[in-house]
Amino acid sequence: MSPQLWALAVAGIVVLAAALFELVRASRARRAALICEGAPSPDPYILYFTGEGCTVCRTHQEPALAKLGGVRIDKVDAIVQRDLAESFHVYTLPTTVVMCSNGKALHVNYGYASARKLEGQLAEARSAIGASVTA
Amino acid sequence: MAAALTTVDHSALKVNQAGIVVTVLVAFIGGLFFTPLLFLIPLLAIVLLLGTFVPQAALFKQLYFRVLKPAGIVKPRPVQDRPEPHNFAQGLGGVFLVVASALLLPLQVAGLALALLVAVLAFVNLAFGYCLGCQIYFQLGKRGLIRA
Repeated sequence: MSPQLWALAVAGIVVLAAALFELVRASRARRAALICEGAPSPDPYILYFTGEGCTVCRTHQEPALAKLGGVRIDKVDAIVQRDLAESFHVYTLPTTVVMCSNGKALHVNYGYASARKLEGQLAEARSAIGASVTA
Repeated sequence: MAAALTTVDHSALKVNQAGIVVTVLVAFIGGLFFTPLLFLIPLLAIVLLLGTFVPQAALFKQLYFRVLKPAGIVKPRPVQDRPEPHNFAQGLGGVFLVVASALLLPLQVAGLALALLVAVLAFVNLAFGYCLGCQIYFQLGKRGLIRA
């Protein structure tokens, strides 16, 4: 077998291992972050972790957040507010956290989250409130 | 104090990433038939490192600014951004290619695999906008190792 094919196999294994590592890391961070609590609010809101060096935040995430309309978005500089970022296990930018009105984190998105995805998560947060009020 | 945003032409970055992908692929596939083409890998390492420290010497970006943009082949895409994370990512790519070049003679498979990984990451950035070097820059900044 030529060195090129061996190299292709090695690179493929590294990429697969990295993807698997990323999945495990995101899942662990998400589980840990979901225990976190923020300030209560009348409506669900979004904690948006960003930073000046984050290009995807400006080119993709912010236009997606702008599509959400009247939703409260708390923009957090992950470098400046390091403790808050650490408590939500922010290891990549952007990170968005959908917070329930009781201040509990319901969904954590590491990396870009589309407007559609966030709308779905916000709807879930609203229905969670509705369910708790009914109960 | 936070660094000020400036205008970064993202088309120049895309051309740079495309240049990396094409060069590595030419070296990788071409090397099957004509081994001296593997010398494109150390050459690319020099181009990337030189471009990181002397922006005027960034070959692919200059190709964009002097040829592709004036000819209207690639449209400019100015974005309010910081150039540092992108330069850091490019420098990191250059360093990895230096290591890949050093490995090409004693351990060709490892050298080629490393060069291929640099091309994969450049492609991911080009196609999906995910910049691993920028994320490493953020992590270093978060730990106070660099001013992010």
